[in-house]
Amino acid sequence: MKWLLRFVFALILSLTVSVVSAQDAPFTIQADDVLQPAVAALYEAKYGAAPVFADADADLLATRDRAVLPADFVGAPPHFLPDAFFVTESQQAAEFVEFAVSPDGQQALIDAGFLPASITVIDQVGNVVEIPQPVRRVITAYSIATYLVYGVGASDRLVSAGYLGARDPVGAARMEAIDPRFPEVSSVVISQTEINVEQVAELQPDVIFTSTRAAWLDTVAELRIPVVLFQGESPERMKESMLLAGQVFGPNAAAQAAAWVDYYDSIFSQVVDQTDDLSAEQRPRVLMVGTEPLRVISGDMYQTDIIAAAGGQSVTAELTGFWNDVNLEQIVLWNPDTIIIVPYGNVTPETLINSPEWQIIPAVQNGQVYKMPSWVAPWDAPVPDSVLGIIWLAQKLFPGRVELDCAAEAVTFFNVFYGHAIPQDEIAAVCAS
Amino acid sequence: MRVVTLRRVWTAAGTRIGGRDLVYAGLLLLPFVLMIATLMIGLYGISIENVTRALLSPVFPGLADGLSQTEITLVLRIRLPRVLSAVLIGAALASTGVAFQGIFKNPLVDSNLLGVTSGAGFGAALALLIGGTTIVVQGFAFGFGLLAVSLAYLGSRLYSTAPMIVLTLMGILIGSFFGSLTSLMKYIADPLNTLPAITFWLLGGLTGVTWNSVPILALLTVLGSFFLWLVRWRLNILSLGDAEAATLGMNPNRLKLSIIVCATLMTAAAVAVGGVIGWIGLVIPHAGRIIVGPDHKRLIPASLALGASFLLLIDTVSRTLLPTEVPIGILTGLIGVPLLIVLLRRNRTGW
Repeated sequence: MKWLLRFVFALILSLTVSVVSAQDAPFTIQADDVLQPAVAALYEAKYGAAPVFADADADLLATRDRAVLPADFVGAPPHFLPDAFFVTESQQAAEFVEFAVSPDGQQALIDAGFLPASITVIDQVGNVVEIPQPVRRVITAYSIATYLVYGVGASDRLVSAGYLGARDPVGAARMEAIDPRFPEVSSVVISQTEINVEQVAELQPDVIFTSTRAAWLDTVAELRIPVVLFQGESPERMKESMLLAGQVFGPNAAAQAAAWVDYYDSIFSQVVDQTDDLSAEQRPRVLMVGTEPLRVISGDMYQTDIIAAAGGQSVTAELTGFWNDVNLEQIVLWNPDTIIIVPYGNVTPETLINSPEWQIIPAVQNGQVYKMPSWVAPWDAPVPDSVLGIIWLAQKLFPGRVELDCAAEAVTFFNVFYGHAIPQDEIAAVCAS
Repeated sequence: MRVVTLRRVWTAAGTRIGGRDLVYAGLLLLPFVLMIATLMIGLYGISIENVTRALLSPVFPGLADGLSQTEITLVLRIRLPRVLSAVLIGAALASTGVAFQGIFKNPLVDSNLLGVTSGAGFGAALALLIGGTTIVVQGFAFGFGLLAVSLAYLGSRLYSTAPMIVLTLMGILIGSFFGSLTSLMKYIADPLNTLPAITFWLLGGLTGVTWNSVPILALLTVLGSFFLWLVRWRLNILSLGDAEAATLGMNPNRLKLSIIVCATLMTAAAVAVGGVIGWIGLVIPHAGRIIVGPDHKRLIPASLALGASFLLLIDTVSRTLLPTEVPIGILTGLIGVPLLIVLLRRNRTGW
């Protein structure tokens, strides 16, 4: 009997120990000394116990040292503090990492004093906006800003958003594949012109993103909800937009935004390096038309910068304001080498090629008319995806000269910034169009 | 016989002497002179000689020698249809304005009184929403313009008293109903694809006009103007009042209905091609009265000529002033109001 009792006792003991250790350390953690208190605060909030730190070969690594990342790493690893991030390959640790970058994780770090309870940002019209942290619920009443939120990896915090390019079935299906919450989030849309203040109040947003064109800022100010205004009509301002959106959602989003800016800059400089030696005469004259064949971009618009970034020169750079209506005589005078049609609208290359009037434009005769593609968000607008527009346009303007693969870059881009694997054959077809 | 007597009476009353006749004749010639002049003007410089040769080349192919394809296309396919459309739309809007002001005995109305423009605007927005081509959009605009006026007319039949007042009220009601429907279309339209197209259409303008738009517009405007010219003296009687017209042996309601049908067809065609162009139908009739007096015998042709000339002038400025098109709505007021004030000062005639 003694051996039996001893066996049962040992069994119970081992079970107890294993249960306790499972609670204590589902995975092993290695952290820089200075980061251990913050990681411990997160760990306690998640598991209600103190973590045990290992010295090496842990499941989860918390560090500030980017050297631990592979050399070809694109994007930003999950950040829980500014400059401090996790690296892991273990499934259990991944859950913890997800918690760390979530609003709950942010809250734990705020409670422990590692993150501020409120931040102050300066938006793109110079307004100083105070935003309590963490931001759990955001309304984007400006479709461009929706994609900024995706780009910084905070799309799970959207409660109402407008989506550019997701009205047609193809765009909607692709958007739903990227984010299953898309139908729910886009079911209530607050536009720049129309707002139902009570509906906004009911959504209980922590912050509202919109543009300077919003018509209802005074009304919403009554609700005392912070409003951040975006205006990204140049590459510099586009980058500012991303960094601003990143700031709002905490350290991880800020790191993702910075990673996008790095990626954008690297694509920019790759194209510029390969087209730098071209003289002004060698740069193709590009006309970009909008939702009507005779509606063109102005020099104030982001699209002009995209053309310049891709090595071309916009023939309409002298125009100001927003979209401009022109007539064919002026287009004859501009004499574009290439005509680019924006991704949206019903205008297609065939519209121009089949029109008897447009035959007098050499670009039409030579078949140099292209419709810029898009996946969901239009690649010509100041959204994160516009980096793909630069690549696509550079390849159209300088086939063979600019060595960037639109499809490969698109796969990387969507993986890193949308956390989504897009179908390779489909994106290849989109890029080739 | 009665008809002949009446015509004589009104001819006698409308007769003016000397200078007035010359002004009237000049006015009728004005659109033709302006058409030739404005065809010579454009952002793309083409010499007067080359424009003339390009214009005559369909008749005398030899004249096209030495002209570039660009010049021929710009003159024949861009400027010519646009100039013709401007003339036709201006004429249609002004003459129907005169007709409506006459039959409603109100100098502050135009042919949109019964909701034709609002209906057309909704039709165009609907067609754009379902992704229609230019032809479909124009067809819908035309069809819904007619529908709006028919609804206003049928609605007014529900009441037996004071038909014109009820008709006016119905027109305003139907107009605002279609206006709301258009707003609804804009509300549900895709802000990226359809909404800009709808807004573009509603603004009005002749930027994208090609030959495709001209035949129906020309047919309806010419036939409609001819009809208004035929009833010019009956309009004089109608503007006296229904009782007077009945005393003189006319059936005022049937005549009014046929004028409304005619004016609606013309306006719908004009709006279908040019979008919503305001002001002309309201103000040009007054300019016409200042110059030739209130007699419809001269007022109808004068308004046709004035409307045609005015829109042609405005549209030429719109397409040549800047590299971009200047919206017609901006120019009608900026150019039209000073012109009208000058006219008012120089000819102090009664209405």
